[in-house]
Amino acid sequence: MTVPLPKQAFPGRILEVTLPAAEGGTPVVVGGQNALPFAREGEKPNPVAIGMEVGTGSGEIPPSLARALGGREKDPVSLARACEGEWGARFLFLSLSGCHPDNGAQPVAAGAKVVRDILAAVRCPVIVGGCGDEEIDAKLFPAAAEAAARPVFLSYADEKNYRLVGGAALAYGHGVVSWSPIDINMAKQINLLLSDIGVPPERILIDPLTGGLGYGLEYTYSIVERIRLAGLSGDAMLARPILCHLGDAWKAREAVDASEPSWGDPDVRGPRWEEATGWACLAAGADLLVFRHPANVASFRGTSWR
Amino acid sequence: MALTALEIYKLLPKTNCKECGFPTCLAFAMQLAAGKAGIEKCEPASMEAKEKLGAASAPPLPKVTVGTGDGAIILGDEVVLFRHEKTFYHPTAIAVSVSDTLGEEALRERLRGILALSFERVGQMISVDMVAVRCDSSDPARFARIAGGALSGGGKPLLLQGPVAALAAAVKEVGPSRPLLSPPPEEVEDGARLAASAGLPVVVKARGVKGLEAALAAARAAGAKEIVADPMPEDAGQAVADSICIRSLAIAHRAREVAYPTAFDLGGGFPLPFAAACLLVPKYGSLLVLDTADPAEILPLLTLRQNIFTDPQRPIQVEPGIYPIGKATPSSPVLITTNFSLTYFTVRSDIEASRTPAHLLIAECDGMSVLTAWAAGKFTAESIAKILGDSGGIEGQVEHRTLILPGMVARLSGKIEELSGWRVLVGPQESSALPSYLRRLPPAAFLPAHG
Repeated sequence: MTVPLPKQAFPGRILEVTLPAAEGGTPVVVGGQNALPFAREGEKPNPVAIGMEVGTGSGEIPPSLARALGGREKDPVSLARACEGEWGARFLFLSLSGCHPDNGAQPVAAGAKVVRDILAAVRCPVIVGGCGDEEIDAKLFPAAAEAAARPVFLSYADEKNYRLVGGAALAYGHGVVSWSPIDINMAKQINLLLSDIGVPPERILIDPLTGGLGYGLEYTYSIVERIRLAGLSGDAMLARPILCHLGDAWKAREAVDASEPSWGDPDVRGPRWEEATGWACLAAGADLLVFRHPANVASFRGTSWR
Repeated sequence: MALTALEIYKLLPKTNCKECGFPTCLAFAMQLAAGKAGIEKCEPASMEAKEKLGAASAPPLPKVTVGTGDGAIILGDEVVLFRHEKTFYHPTAIAVSVSDTLGEEALRERLRGILALSFERVGQMISVDMVAVRCDSSDPARFARIAGGALSGGGKPLLLQGPVAALAAAVKEVGPSRPLLSPPPEEVEDGARLAASAGLPVVVKARGVKGLEAALAAARAAGAKEIVADPMPEDAGQAVADSICIRSLAIAHRAREVAYPTAFDLGGGFPLPFAAACLLVPKYGSLLVLDTADPAEILPLLTLRQNIFTDPQRPIQVEPGIYPIGKATPSSPVLITTNFSLTYFTVRSDIEASRTPAHLLIAECDGMSVLTAWAAGKFTAESIAKILGDSGGIEGQVEHRTLILPGMVARLSGKIEELSGWRVLVGPQESSALPSYLRRLPPAAFLPAHG
């Protein structure tokens, strides 16, 4: 009596996407698989890419995170260098959060300058994120796209601004992160719209909106599984690498509150909160993870299996 | 694989005798296919049909119960591979270990630490479920004594890990509490015999899915009935791959030979136990044993489990009503939101962060978030005006008549003012902006309405 091991052959394959690096740097290649994560069958040519966030905002960051970053959080260029050089991030997510009126209100030109400075300081691939204010982002994306001397990805294009972001990406040879709010139909729709305006499929990543642990992570978990299953089953518009940005994990009170001794040391709890969010996204099918805590970059990079 | 209604129909007598309570055999077949009726209701069915349909309708993953009474833990008994297909029913049980080499005081201390691993989140208690007693002393009498102490001091169901001689001694001490026995891989058959004679569930350990196949057959032959399978992986990657393989065989392939709930021992030097646990909670681990009792690790893990095992079709809800936050007085602000628990707890914690005492009104919205409830017609000007006007409601508790409305539904404000006579202030779109919003509110906004 022998049980045959399960073999689930999917008709589809996730499109391979390359995030370009500067000369001498290592590009990030994700996707290319025709199987679910951790399944023994199928081909998985590329490991999950582990990146780090570099913010430009003036807002306070959680103390446990600030300690781990060694005070570099106020200096994006020095933080970016440490992310790449010391902590081993394979790509950076540069969030131009500082251009938001509530988070520093930097002028668009300052945002563009940070893009130039960071790209000069690191060789790894970079994703450039807007500030989250619709009006400002409408100026920021074109400015950042122009300022970037080498190809980056712009994050993100949604239902409203896809023409602007997609257009800026096309004009300067960048890629696009397509964003949808935990909605598989919308995820597909944005990718269709981007493809309609001519953004090549191998320059698109899906951001399904990542809820933090305890605050909606289960929705993200299931939407990532559904997008991945749809992609592997042959839906070309969803057969794209998925990016999970774990920043929301740090918004949970349980991740940062130091006033509850029964919850344990916040210097352990904070990174663990982000780590648990990351493992769940990985199990669901994410191809790129963006962390804020250096220790998690090390532990996720150290695992060769997937 | 599950049979379709038409396949089932072909096996039925097709006489439409109605003895099953359904008008036609086809109608009955559809009920069978949906799992809403059992073949035993069809008396005239052939033996062959009963056998086939009985096997097809048996749960794909057997249920194993550990412990007794309210604290009993159910392992297995799942029906889908992906939670969005239906839901996951039985949360991954988390056991924290104690060694039988601990002295009396150290044991008490360790049990206190394990008992403290219980937290309230979104209105639910999330806790460590079991205590795993490890036989490190190779002394059966000592192991039995510590097991007794762990049961009386912890009050949680036990996992007993040790050689069969030690397990036998412990069963005499704590057998009636229905512990789960976990003999070493080289004693699978003796362990299975002990479990069978004591009527207890047992963990069968063997390396990998292939190894388990043989060991599980041996355990069944030795009489074990309630079985949990441990594929003894060496690292987190192997653990998840084994776990996925076993659950896929059980659910998608109906391979009865290996269709059992799974256990993973992530203690004793297992590399990256936290990572393994976080992966095994969504990916089908039924029972995880951890050496850590650090709340900074257990709280995130239990929260992850709570997230993954929430029914995707039934969001967690809170009771509608008036919730005072801080030392709310008749002149404190009044806010309203929906009864989706995540919405409620987020808004609540943001109001708390503002240090402004307030009254939070929770509207009955079938557990939907603000925008969803508005779109579904559950959070409307009419329903909000009705809550404001409720006799014995908020009007009796505050002197002012000013409501702070979620910014997402700003468009309702005019209609609410018209229907209720209350003044409406449009709050922020995102709950996270509440602290600064509340701190900036002029106190004059909440002066008594009359006089």
